[in-house]
Amino acid sequence: MVSTNRRNLLRGAGLGLFSFTVAGVATWLTPREARARGAELQILTADEARLLEAIGEAFAPGATDAGIAWFIDQQLSVPANDSLLMARYFNVPPPFADFYRASMNALNGLSSARFDKPFTELMAAEAEGLLPALLGAEVEGWQGPPALLVYLVLRNDAVDVVYGTVEGIEALDIPYMAHILPPSKW
Amino acid sequence: MVKGMATQETDVVIVGAGAAGSVFAAILAEAGKDVLILETGPARELDDLYSSQLWARKLKWAEPYVAETNPADSLGFNFNAGRGVGGAAVHHYGVWPRYHENDFNMQTQFGQALDWPIEYEDLRPWYDRVQADVGVAGDAEAEIWRPPGEPYPLPPVPQFPHGRILAGGFEKLGMNVAPVPVAILTRPYKGRPACIWDGWCDAGCPTGALANPLVEFLPRARQAGAQIQVDSHVTRVLTDGKGQRASGIEYYDANGKRHEVRAKIVVLTAFNVENARILLNSSNGGDGSLANSSGLVGAYLMSHPTVIHSGLFEEDTQNHLGITGGQIINQDHFKKNEGKGAFGSRQWIGGLALKPNDLLGIGMSRIDIIGKDLRPFMQRAAKKIAQIVAITEDHPLRENRIELADQKDAFGFPLARIRYQTSPDGMGLWQKAAPEGLEIMKAAGAVEAWHGPKVAQHILGGTIMGSDPAASVTNSYGQAHDVDNLFIGGGGLFPTSSAVNSTFTIHAVAMRSADYLVKNWSGITA
Repeated sequence: MVSTNRRNLLRGAGLGLFSFTVAGVATWLTPREARARGAELQILTADEARLLEAIGEAFAPGATDAGIAWFIDQQLSVPANDSLLMARYFNVPPPFADFYRASMNALNGLSSARFDKPFTELMAAEAEGLLPALLGAEVEGWQGPPALLVYLVLRNDAVDVVYGTVEGIEALDIPYMAHILPPSKW
Repeated sequence: MVKGMATQETDVVIVGAGAAGSVFAAILAEAGKDVLILETGPARELDDLYSSQLWARKLKWAEPYVAETNPADSLGFNFNAGRGVGGAAVHHYGVWPRYHENDFNMQTQFGQALDWPIEYEDLRPWYDRVQADVGVAGDAEAEIWRPPGEPYPLPPVPQFPHGRILAGGFEKLGMNVAPVPVAILTRPYKGRPACIWDGWCDAGCPTGALANPLVEFLPRARQAGAQIQVDSHVTRVLTDGKGQRASGIEYYDANGKRHEVRAKIVVLTAFNVENARILLNSSNGGDGSLANSSGLVGAYLMSHPTVIHSGLFEEDTQNHLGITGGQIINQDHFKKNEGKGAFGSRQWIGGLALKPNDLLGIGMSRIDIIGKDLRPFMQRAAKKIAQIVAITEDHPLRENRIELADQKDAFGFPLARIRYQTSPDGMGLWQKAAPEGLEIMKAAGAVEAWHGPKVAQHILGGTIMGSDPAASVTNSYGQAHDVDNLFIGGGGLFPTSSAVNSTFTIHAVAMRSADYLVKNWSGITA
């Protein structure tokens, strides 16, 4: 078994490292580092990234700093069979970027209809109050992919980046107990 | 021949390097046959299996896309299927109960569902052989419902606190509990190490403790000379022009170049949906599809309607320990006497090792909890949650089927589409399990308990076996009724689903078929 202490991580075992470009130079970073260092987005626009962060934060606080937008952006740039997004488990048709854009538009539309402002401008309580509407059988005014599907995919993305990493699991006081830590070249 | 096309020749071409394909490959190669396995996915070795629920997704399916016409009753194809050498068995959980005797003759015995063309006793020797080959752990005596067979070669899985707590719930209700039988080593076996109980089964077991194809049958196949060729996308079975003899297969490589493999025997062991798609895209020499004189290629698709129950306990459950497949099993409900609207069997498994994220993760158990409430829940559940899962029997309905979609793949061939709705009796069984699970949790001492929605696991049927060529696609050996030298392996052959995990039976059926093929080689290839 591979122990997963800080030393291992610093050695570069690198759970969660992805290829990002910072100031024109490709480098391996976690999504959290990519966000902090302002890595270039490959698929999403800056506005879309901000919206994903707002949605992710409403589902799982900490998702923004964990780099949810950079994680999704990087995964949207690879073929579907190499993707680590939960969207594939929910049978979302590739390319997944179409689904994410339609989902974000639908959520913004719902936010505008309910609060007369886009999702990124909602207060935390407003955002948290809005999202459960997607669990209902019918969501009035919803225009986009099935609302439950949107909820499940985006909520799981947020849970992934906050709780699915070595640091996220260890923060729950659960030993990670990896056999083999993922390589840096995801 | 297409210009620039390369043609290979072999005795046997096997499509798909998963559970059934690896067994066929080992048995046939060890019998001296030239074996070529074509796998649509990438190469994969044990040291590629990284411990991460994120990385685990690469082991599952995504493309070519398989649409479902009824998303509200999804089969969860992408999660259940596999891609790459080892197939779905690389990420399976190693839960290996046997089918029961009454699963094989349901039409004759009960006037329900379909009969297999064989009885349990016909398959029993291969169950025994497979379990000795791979090393299955369990307690045969404790499984009072277990069909006859050799005792397990390995002692049972240990119990961790969450398994022990849950076992108490079953026992309080007068339900029997046994260690879950698993193809996971509880002590070293044939050079492979014992499990260390860290719950990374879904991400693939890189130690070799879990008997996926990478640790037993594929190494044997390679040792005997079988070749595995990856990134090879098989599109059609080729024939003599009359659809009565297979001459080989057509595939496209990673660069989109078309190839043919000429072979004496063609074995389709892709996932059942892709097996059916390949046949439906192959010609019988006329205006129909191959091996489909019955019209049943794609038909009788089944799954196991499943419900997962979660309970929060006051004591520390240590749910991170163990194996994803669980620790305890109950098969009290296998007499198929559950009453009208719920005909069939159902099984309980308890004590699943858990991770925080992913489809079966702690976070997914309460999708309604978000925002500021999420972390307190995750922190509590990480220490206090335990789960049980009910697997119920689905029934073969002709209208549940794999069919060709209007959309095409990169090579111009129609994609597969799933048309499925859970059988009424399958739903009836699920509805019996749902409240019972809450009772079990309560009896075990849960301070809170709930269950999730109906989900599907193990996708079966689509190329079912049977005695009557007009009512099935293959005989009991997976040999196509219409094409003597075309064999099929995998869960697609199953005429009924039972309520047990299917991988053990997939191995046993494949080994029986491969033995038959070796024994009758001259006649079949003449």
